[in-house]
Amino acid sequence: MEVGFLGLGIMGKAMAANLLRHGFRVTVWNRTLSKCQELVALGATVGETPAAVVARCRYTIAMLSDPSAALSVVFDKDGVLEQIGDGKGYVDMSTVDAATSSKISEAVKQKGGAFLEAPVSGSKKPAEDGQLVILAAGDQALYDDMVPAFDVLGKKSFFLGEIGNGANMKLVVNMIMGSMMNALSEGLSLADNSGLNPQTLLDVLDLGAIANPMFKLKGPSILKGSYNPAFPLKHQQKDMRLALSLGDENAVAMPVAAASNEAFKKARSLGLGDLDFSAVYEVIKGASGSNQA
Amino acid sequence: MAAAAATHLSVRAAPALRLRGKGTCRLLSCYASSSPPPPSSGEGFSGKVGFLGLGIMGAPMASNLIKAGCDVTVWNRTKSKCDPLLSLGAKYESSPANVALSCDVTFAMLADPESAVEVACGANGAAQGMAPGKGYVDVSTVDTATSKLIGKHITSTGASFLEAPVSGSKKPAEDGLLIFLTAGDDSLYNRVAPLLDVMGKSRFFLGDVGNGAAMKLVVNMVMGSMMVSFSEGVLLSEKVGLDPNTLVEVISQGAISAPMFSLKGPSMVKAAYPTAFPLKHQQKDLRLALALAESVSQSIPTVAAANELYKVAKSLGLADQDFSAVIEALKAKEQNPQP
Repeated sequence: MEVGFLGLGIMGKAMAANLLRHGFRVTVWNRTLSKCQELVALGATVGETPAAVVARCRYTIAMLSDPSAALSVVFDKDGVLEQIGDGKGYVDMSTVDAATSSKISEAVKQKGGAFLEAPVSGSKKPAEDGQLVILAAGDQALYDDMVPAFDVLGKKSFFLGEIGNGANMKLVVNMIMGSMMNALSEGLSLADNSGLNPQTLLDVLDLGAIANPMFKLKGPSILKGSYNPAFPLKHQQKDMRLALSLGDENAVAMPVAAASNEAFKKARSLGLGDLDFSAVYEVIKGASGSNQA
Repeated sequence: MAAAAATHLSVRAAPALRLRGKGTCRLLSCYASSSPPPPSSGEGFSGKVGFLGLGIMGAPMASNLIKAGCDVTVWNRTKSKCDPLLSLGAKYESSPANVALSCDVTFAMLADPESAVEVACGANGAAQGMAPGKGYVDVSTVDTATSKLIGKHITSTGASFLEAPVSGSKKPAEDGLLIFLTAGDDSLYNRVAPLLDVMGKSRFFLGDVGNGAAMKLVVNMVMGSMMVSFSEGVLLSEKVGLDPNTLVEVISQGAISAPMFSLKGPSMVKAAYPTAFPLKHQQKDLRLALALAESVSQSIPTVAAANELYKVAKSLGLADQDFSAVIEALKAKEQNPQP
């Protein structure tokens, strides 16, 4: 199967590499073209523009960092819309709000193309290991066509119905995750400030009802002060913002998510946006008596 | 502040062999090969065990001790709650003081700081029956000041004191899978370790009195905050036309998959909240955690926000429901917007 792949960041690079290793023919594009070279070494072809990729491939996957990049790749000059049409499918795996996804969907369909939103749950390592959870919605026939690719990229795929459902499911999951990272940070800080060993807190948490892979993975790296970005904080904050916006539109109370978002915003203002989202711990740690002048 | 040294032991849930001895509780337990052998291997606890407080947690804990062959004497404020334990073979005494008097080590599992103090230090309280050579193990969840107060009352009699709050609710209590977060007298800790191993799967010794209490509060504050985030997600997903059961399934596949979500999610979606951990106790724990945080000037915003929701839930009459009923407080907020 041949697919196009737009966007070779933390996620896109790992995902495209995975497809290549499993025998897919892949044509890649990235805004900074030099990033394509690593994939070329694995057998990829390079498209000079998103339009060039779509011209060449029956199916094109996109993995961009935010709504603005996702829109740009579609609507700008040399964008997807210039070459999308009958018989071609566009699969946007970026995490965006439902409105952005709808906008892209309408434009693609108007040109005769098929569209599937398919944001993923999982960051760098699951992407490398083909263990993503794919939350698709939109064109069901296109979803069925993409199953062989999804089976390589992920451990489980969901088809959630109409456009917007995949985007919203992703935002809800990431909202919970962002809040949980704040709760963990508050626990670790308080443990530390109360004379407890924060590693012991992690050990206890790992034995009980709230044990989860994220705490297990990120807890120790937080305590080491190590924040190599598997999931950049700025993207987590973007997701919190989009989730809160969704809550606003629907008048759903979300006080803990709102409190969490404040911490991520503070972290961004401190210049921590490109670090892993677990760096929000630095904001919580900073908000303690031991750090007062 | 220096971090407390912690020793930790994980043991298999079910000891391989148990022998019933007269007046002694002899446990020959096999430990998971990945753990180092415990200091007391081969010899169990010998002596009479008291148990004060037979609520949701105390009843199964005491019951597990009896089934393991221990000589157990119980007391509960409402006497009728002792009956199931008596039919299993427990003895009864009419006050905490009399239980403590007749036993070598007495456990207490009370609902909150007030009850814990009353049972330990009040009239006919356990301290009245304590003496050198005896031990008091308080497995209630209280604040550090209360624990230190109880500890002082107990140790002033010459007896030893161990605070030992647990992580785990009703089912882990029934299954003997609790996690003990102990601190205080380390000889007493070693002495009762075989009993903790009957009731639990894991135990930690965290140093000075107060450390066990603090650790428990921190664990429960993370849990209380997570439950509210999860509730926000369930409600938001429903409101935007997603199937909340699918949300639960998606979560179970990923990095934030936690037993609590898979366990409670499906019943929360059906608005059912069978009580494993009463909401009023979760709110009590958050209140105590907030006080602990205040004492060290630590800001804990999501916990503070979560606490408000539990308070609303209590005002809606949900205090005795499972703490997952906090989701109703979010729903109520929608229906009755505050000015």
